[in-house]
Amino acid sequence: MDTRRTLIELRTMVVFSARKLILNRRWILVLAVAVLVGGLMGYSATLEVDHLSYASDLLNLLFLTFFLPIFALIYGASMIRNEIDDRSIVQVITSPMDRRASFIGYFLALTIVLSLMIIITAIVGWSSYFIVAGISLDAVDLLLPYLLVLVLGSVAYSSIFLTSGVILRQPIYLGLFYIFIWEGFVGSIPGAIADMTVRHQLQVIAAHWIEYGDISYVTGDALVSAMALVVLTMVMVLIGAFAFREKEIS
Amino acid sequence: MNAIVSVRGLSKWYGKVIGLNNFNIDIGKGITGIVGPNGSGKSTFFKLLTGNIKANTGHLSVFGEDPWRNPAQLMRIGFCPDYDFLPGELTGREYLRFVGGIHAMSGNALATRADEVLGIVNMKEAADRRMGGYSKGMRQRLKIAGCLLHNPPLLLLDEPLTGTDPVARKDLIDLILRLHQDHGHDIIVSSHVLHEVERLTRNIAIIYKGRAVATGDLTEIRMLMSGHPHNIIIEGQNLNALVKLLIDQRYTVSVEMSKSREGLKVQVDDPEQFFDSLPRLIKESGCELQTVHSLDDNLESVFKYLVG
Repeated sequence: MDTRRTLIELRTMVVFSARKLILNRRWILVLAVAVLVGGLMGYSATLEVDHLSYASDLLNLLFLTFFLPIFALIYGASMIRNEIDDRSIVQVITSPMDRRASFIGYFLALTIVLSLMIIITAIVGWSSYFIVAGISLDAVDLLLPYLLVLVLGSVAYSSIFLTSGVILRQPIYLGLFYIFIWEGFVGSIPGAIADMTVRHQLQVIAAHWIEYGDISYVTGDALVSAMALVVLTMVMVLIGAFAFREKEIS
Repeated sequence: MNAIVSVRGLSKWYGKVIGLNNFNIDIGKGITGIVGPNGSGKSTFFKLLTGNIKANTGHLSVFGEDPWRNPAQLMRIGFCPDYDFLPGELTGREYLRFVGGIHAMSGNALATRADEVLGIVNMKEAADRRMGGYSKGMRQRLKIAGCLLHNPPLLLLDEPLTGTDPVARKDLIDLILRLHQDHGHDIIVSSHVLHEVERLTRNIAIIYKGRAVATGDLTEIRMLMSGHPHNIIIEGQNLNALVKLLIDQRYTVSVEMSKSREGLKVQVDDPEQFFDSLPRLIKESGCELQTVHSLDDNLESVFKYLVG
């Protein structure tokens, strides 16, 4: 394989796919979410509570549990699927670029854009909260682990939902099932089944660094969780890349 | 013929719908027209050529290789689909930068080549405008620029004239002819508008219901249709004697003289024999001929006859 050639192709895919995601009208949704969480967290900071613990619970609930998988589903499941449906994918699939490399280009673009969006909205929420409650070094220490875990989550969820968009005609249904039924309901049943969710693995990693809020009580080995996410991501990307290469696109 | 594309017994179906059915064709250099009504299998053929779909049965080779799962092959093919897929938010030049990038082109080489192809398709002036504001003809020209960018020897143009106004259509026809004559690209162009293909090439393949019902030179195809009456217009002076001689010929179906008596419409069932004997008949009748041309070389009549 010609490495230089592949790198040029990959860079082009990442730049143009990321740009397409950012210019998509769904940025209005992201803006609305930012305004919503900004207002919500700003208001919550007026309550008389332990601010660090309460802010941690809000970041966990709003971002790690809800908006991260939802953003990943909205952007990831439709990324390749929409291009197949509106046939704009023709330029990619009639280029000499190996389709597996094209898939990795899509994946990297999605991960970058998703990470940026979730980081921006999380920072808006965190800022609103601590502008009202009073900023401190501990507040910054709370934010940074969350941002890191959100980036890790963006990578993992991107691999799942992007691949589902290649394999399934209606990936959104599987995504909704995964987020709300599997992670939201089945994953909350006490026992080992919760281990089989991305959310739980992210919370285990976050608990390793965060000392505030309910998340600090989550138990588990952060290294094992990180490894589990890496393996999951690699497996999903490999499945997606292989499925994309084998896919007949008419 | 040195075939660029060779197809043997190729079939492709989508569930219960047949795209191509035991399809056979050899396509050589030059411009080849693929003609058939909507749904006849033209686009399926192009998708198979670019390796976007896989044949169910049969053999297909492009430059001697199977296109399925063979992306390197696409270095030698430029594909322009029949539908509009250009992202409206990009400028023409940005689009070409994207296309060049996924063909591993970059830097000055890409910028220079992009300028070159924009010149070829006459889109230099509009290249920095967003494509959302382009007319249909401009978008078609830019799509062609995109498939030309990596300078492939073979261009596949799927219905490039569809939806364009007459002026844009003439420009596109001239462009396609130039791409072959001046730039040396071999071109496979499809259309369901028969007379348009006739203006591009006489080398055609007629597809109907997933089968190639006739391939080759338009005139040769016409010769295959021995049972189908062939209309020939003869113009000149003193045609009365020629009419008498023509009526006596075994191949003549009918002869009709124009009111001015300076034109004949002759219907024959064996055009080859007619053209062989014509010089002798002209000499015997003593008429003065100005023009002889065959109405049935018009692609429309060939198509109608072949597809019933």
